[in-house]
Amino acid sequence: MSPEDVTRGPAARPPATESPVGPSGVVPLLRTEDLARSFGGVFAVAEVSMSVARGEMRGVIGANGAGKSTLFNLISGHLTPNRGTISYGGKRIEHLAPHERARLRISIVFQTARLFAGMTVLENVMMGAHVWSRHGFFEAALRLPRHRKEEREIRSKAEEALERVGMTPWAATEAESLPLGQQRSLQVARVLCSKPALLLLDEPASGLRAEEKESLAGLLEQLKAEGLTMMLIEHDVGFVSGLADTVTVLDLGRVIAEGPPDEVTQDPAVIAAYIGEGRGRAQRH
Amino acid sequence: MILLLAAASFLLPLWLSSANLTVYILLGLYAVTAIGLSLLMGLAGQVSLGQAVFFAIGAYTAAVLSLHGLSTVVALVLAPLLAAAVAAVVGVPILRLRGHHLAFATLAFQLIVLSVITNTPFLGGGLGFTAVPGLGIGKATLSSSLGYAWLTWGLTVVVMVVTLNLIRSRPGRALRALATSEAAAESVGVPVVRYKLAVFALSAAYAGVAGGIYVFFIGYASPGSFPVELSVELVVMVVIFGLGSVWGALFGAAGISVLMQVLNQVGTLHGMPQYMPTLLSYAAYGLILVVIVMFLPAGVLPGLRRLWARRPGGREDPMSRQIAPPIASLRSLLRSTRPKTTRADGTPSPEQTRRQ
Repeated sequence: MSPEDVTRGPAARPPATESPVGPSGVVPLLRTEDLARSFGGVFAVAEVSMSVARGEMRGVIGANGAGKSTLFNLISGHLTPNRGTISYGGKRIEHLAPHERARLRISIVFQTARLFAGMTVLENVMMGAHVWSRHGFFEAALRLPRHRKEEREIRSKAEEALERVGMTPWAATEAESLPLGQQRSLQVARVLCSKPALLLLDEPASGLRAEEKESLAGLLEQLKAEGLTMMLIEHDVGFVSGLADTVTVLDLGRVIAEGPPDEVTQDPAVIAAYIGEGRGRAQRH
Repeated sequence: MILLLAAASFLLPLWLSSANLTVYILLGLYAVTAIGLSLLMGLAGQVSLGQAVFFAIGAYTAAVLSLHGLSTVVALVLAPLLAAAVAAVVGVPILRLRGHHLAFATLAFQLIVLSVITNTPFLGGGLGFTAVPGLGIGKATLSSSLGYAWLTWGLTVVVMVVTLNLIRSRPGRALRALATSEAAAESVGVPVVRYKLAVFALSAAYAGVAGGIYVFFIGYASPGSFPVELSVELVVMVVIFGLGSVWGALFGAAGISVLMQVLNQVGTLHGMPQYMPTLLSYAAYGLILVVIVMFLPAGVLPGLRRLWARRPGGREDPMSRQIAPPIASLRSLLRSTRPKTTRADGTPSPEQTRRQ
């Protein structure tokens, strides 16, 4: 990356001339254009342009530090890009705050569980419903009809989501006291309760036992069949290959390959990035 | 339970002597303010060491407006609205602060407001207002203490019902969520800044309406009526029986009010030095705060519940172990003299620092 890349601050955004229509002619659900984000002058995401179609299951792989989690944080709004654009359903979203993007039903499952301590498992899942329920302080304080109706909906949707991840027996347990695997399932239940349109999963299978991994894969399979658009970061290439329609490979913040899983995993550049770890990098670009 | 309390609180004043009735009314007003503070500190995790300032704003609003000829009822309606508006404006900068920083900012705000009042002749200056009219419509004024007692406790019951409803709802859960992690709350769609402002304004409104009734009942308001000591007293009321609990705030207000009466009587016994009442009250606040924070961080009620749950065959409620963020922050402050603790819980986590 050149020094001028570093000096271009967040203000240097390209004009909004891009067409929402992707190369294939269909409007993709998510599209990033020349997305970049640096930390102290080092670009974690350097120039990522990619688009994800509706109903697609996209795998994102890459070595440590390839920029996968940074990319997710840019999409979910937890980080703002230095430059580049993100369109979602044809609308630019890179200026929106995380809670506004959550309301557009972009839901994220973080690598490390971000649970609400001091709340039960069920209450944690109910928080997922915040994005699609509307009643506020006033209606809640006076128990107005909308509050009652929505609270019933929130509870039943949360119970349904808990059921789906097989955690109904732990509904009244304090979330923080759960073991790691169940904390992950709880996070998945929470995003399910949020009725997501785009689900970002940051290494959901890491640290899970074999049978937990299997049941997670089964659940993701089901969600895919229901037409949910998902992006999945995963270290375990076998896990991604089994699920994803398309895999994007990142290295040093750039897309180095993209395509069906079995093609991409045969790509010499990808093999070099995974096996060559650092040595072969200068030649590749 | 609420109905029982309502019935008891409406019948009790009939048997009280006039001195005790005054205590009873003040207790109700403090309870309303304390419930608001408990909502702010316990549920949403935002510390306020200057909550009495909103009590003062409510009182002054009611006093100034009614002394300028506005109907006292209208003035009483405007008192909480103005208090809430001030909180919403002041909250924009200070609610960005966390832990001890927020505590000191709220304290500083109270000192600033008191100093402004003292130096503004329009607001009565240091001497304050006397002869604030009684509450009433036209010629029909609320003249007896009994009337104020019923008004106050009617308000207390309404505030309790409203607050309990709020806690068990979507916005209530969102407040609890942002108390544990603002970043996580944002990622599930909670507009954190707006929610913090809303709960701050609501707690200010509770204090404001209590302050309004106070000034009509007492008929007098000066900067000295709303010292920082009152803010500290409110914090003690809120933490003693369990932060974030509406019932805890009510019992806390009752317990502390009665205790202060007793200490006051002891302090003014024949032969005691003049500073004795103040000394005793400060000593009591300090002692209670330290004991609660160090030994019963979840408050007396949850602490007792835990002991009860430890009986043979008992089942422990996991929630009774929960320590509200402000208490955790105070705990770390008290313990920070010990060499091993390096980081206070009140400091922002790395991700929050990054997002600023």
